[in-house]
Amino acid sequence: MNVMISPQPSKTFSVLVVDDEPSLRKVIRASLAASGFAVEEAGTGKDAVAAIRQRPFDIVLLDVNMPGISGVEACRQIRALAPRAGIVMVTVRDAEEDKVRALEAGADDYVTKPFRFRELVARLGAVLRRTHTVRDAEADVLQAGDLKLELERHLLSKRGEPVRLSPKEFDLLAYLMKNQGAPMTHVKLLRAVWGPEYGGELEYLRSYVRMLRKKIEDDPARPQYILTEAWVGYRFRNPSDPDQPVNQEEQ
Amino acid sequence: MLRFDPQEARRAAQCSAAGILGLALLTLIAFRLHLNFAAASSCYLLLVILLSLSGDMFSSALVSVAAVGCLDYYFVEPVLSFRIEKSVNVLALASFLVTGLIIARLVAKVRAKAATSQVHHERLQQLYELAQKLLALQPDVAVGKDFLELFIGVFGIEAACLYDAVGGELQFAGHPRALLEEKTGEAFARGKDRDDPVNRIHARCIRIAGSVTGAIGFEGLDDPQTAGPLGALGAAHLERTHSFRKASRAAASAHTESYRSAILDALAHEFKTPLSTILTAAGALREAGTLGPHHREMAETVESEAARLSRLTMRLIRTARLEQEEVRPWMELMDLASVIEETVEPYARMSAERSICVVKECNSSDVQADPELIRLLVGQLLDNACKYSTPGSPVTLRVSRQGDQLALRVFSSGNPIDASEKPKIFDRFYRGAGGQRRAPGSGLGLFVARKIALAHGGRLELEDDDPADGTVFCLSLPVPEPERRSERNDIATAV
Repeated sequence: MNVMISPQPSKTFSVLVVDDEPSLRKVIRASLAASGFAVEEAGTGKDAVAAIRQRPFDIVLLDVNMPGISGVEACRQIRALAPRAGIVMVTVRDAEEDKVRALEAGADDYVTKPFRFRELVARLGAVLRRTHTVRDAEADVLQAGDLKLELERHLLSKRGEPVRLSPKEFDLLAYLMKNQGAPMTHVKLLRAVWGPEYGGELEYLRSYVRMLRKKIEDDPARPQYILTEAWVGYRFRNPSDPDQPVNQEEQ
Repeated sequence: MLRFDPQEARRAAQCSAAGILGLALLTLIAFRLHLNFAAASSCYLLLVILLSLSGDMFSSALVSVAAVGCLDYYFVEPVLSFRIEKSVNVLALASFLVTGLIIARLVAKVRAKAATSQVHHERLQQLYELAQKLLALQPDVAVGKDFLELFIGVFGIEAACLYDAVGGELQFAGHPRALLEEKTGEAFARGKDRDDPVNRIHARCIRIAGSVTGAIGFEGLDDPQTAGPLGALGAAHLERTHSFRKASRAAASAHTESYRSAILDALAHEFKTPLSTILTAAGALREAGTLGPHHREMAETVESEAARLSRLTMRLIRTARLEQEEVRPWMELMDLASVIEETVEPYARMSAERSICVVKECNSSDVQADPELIRLLVGQLLDNACKYSTPGSPVTLRVSRQGDQLALRVFSSGNPIDASEKPKIFDRFYRGAGGQRRAPGSGLGLFVARKIALAHGGRLELEDDDPADGTVFCLSLPVPEPERRSERNDIATAV
């Protein structure tokens, strides 16, 4: 497989793989190298931070459970050193607090162990695309599938038909669409849309998501745009995005 | 019971000889001193009393009779003759004899009483010591030799035998004859104490809370009366051991449960990294593009089987967790039928020889639920249906609306659950008698599945009106409020 992450097909992306398990590190290194990445390894969070100080990486794959400084702490330090590097955390299921902490510490996304190789590559590709595509900050129109959001005019249309949204619904959808593909924690969404004093009003957010789904989804019980990351937050999915999040249960 | 005791006879003979000797000496002195009848009889009476105090009744009586003879011969007129001239002397001699005999009798009685109380005291002492030793015995030691050994030597016991019906154990100590086992067994079987005085075997029933739970037999017991208290001591110890065993079993089982969950959890965690390594390696190999079709297929098999193993591991870890912790569903509007279809898909793929079909008998199957937990629950029901039904027989999942509830029924055929097992199948760690032989499992699946259903405000039940040869599990979940309203509106419009 050739994972050439456009828009710069000629560029070879550099990856730092941080895991305390040597065999997993070795396999990931070989597999990613075969897929066209330039791979470096680190066995601890401390080594990873040292490697980042030495040279920049496009993306860091960071295990959350490591001896010494934790993956979350390493993530925080790496984010401080390299604000533009993509960071993907390797977490385990049933450790949602770890995922939330990692996202709050600056991680861009996570994969859950045990993962499949194509899921890993897809996740790395999506993050690289997000971090390497210079988004037009001034873009006035956001599109995803059948949805078209006009920021300036505060308008949403689905297949050309206008959809009426309340101001907060509009802000929430706009924020999610601007960050499409990336997991957004509940706290992050609440603070971004409602203000910095918010954070614990989960039910509030959930009822807004429920209302939004009713308006934008074909079948709210089978959402295609706003996906739930249970106990973590929500992720906006663009149906035309090549790197679709993989549902692990269906592996 | 009178028994000839040679030791006693020797002692009586010795006392009698000493008494006669004393009598002769006293007679010689009194005769030389020319004592009269009254003085001599007083001296003789004193001798009889002294003899009674130290000797036995036989010697005292013998000396009394001899003293009467001496008095008559040496001190009653005419002296040196047994003839008695005055009737008053006959009366005096007779009263001396009676007094002597009464004194001998009284003293012997007092002595016998003292001896008996001494024996009782010693017996009590022995029983007390035995009870102390029994109490000092660790109750976790199996009821058996250690316990029975304590009885040997006490009250002359040569052998002991214990039958414990609760544990189904027969134990011996000492060197028993076959008769001991027989008598002990008889005592238990008939629920009656057995005594065999000829062989000095005494067996006592052990009763706890009115019912016979065993029997204890003693061989060579000196005093049959002690068999009762000894049996009671045995019963008390047995009961103590049984209660201790029960308590430690309960503690051990609680300990095992938490240990088991902890191990399961740790193991499942340890599996994740190697599984990721295998999945990554196999996936990369498959996608490398350099493999021939045959090798590619093998790489795919490795990947899909590792994925299956990881699915099973995840389920195991989640089940182990949910078993111990409170289930916290992340409720959202979801379509039950499509979650079921998603769950069925890999099962249908894996078991091609079996038809697994999903039938939706209602327009909307939307519920407020946690899709991941519902997947786990449906997976468990499917697992059960596939494991315990006739191989190759179809499994049907039917979704229907029943009032304010949405019901999922899982039908499978073959190996119906026995009526006696039905109330227990949702118990934690319960595994059916058939299940233990037939299919592997942790005994947690249905327990956790029901826990998930309850956390959603729903129910998971085994339907009573099963088809003759099969099993139906029914999951019901409450339909969300707006759905109920829209359904009612539909009905109203239709009317």
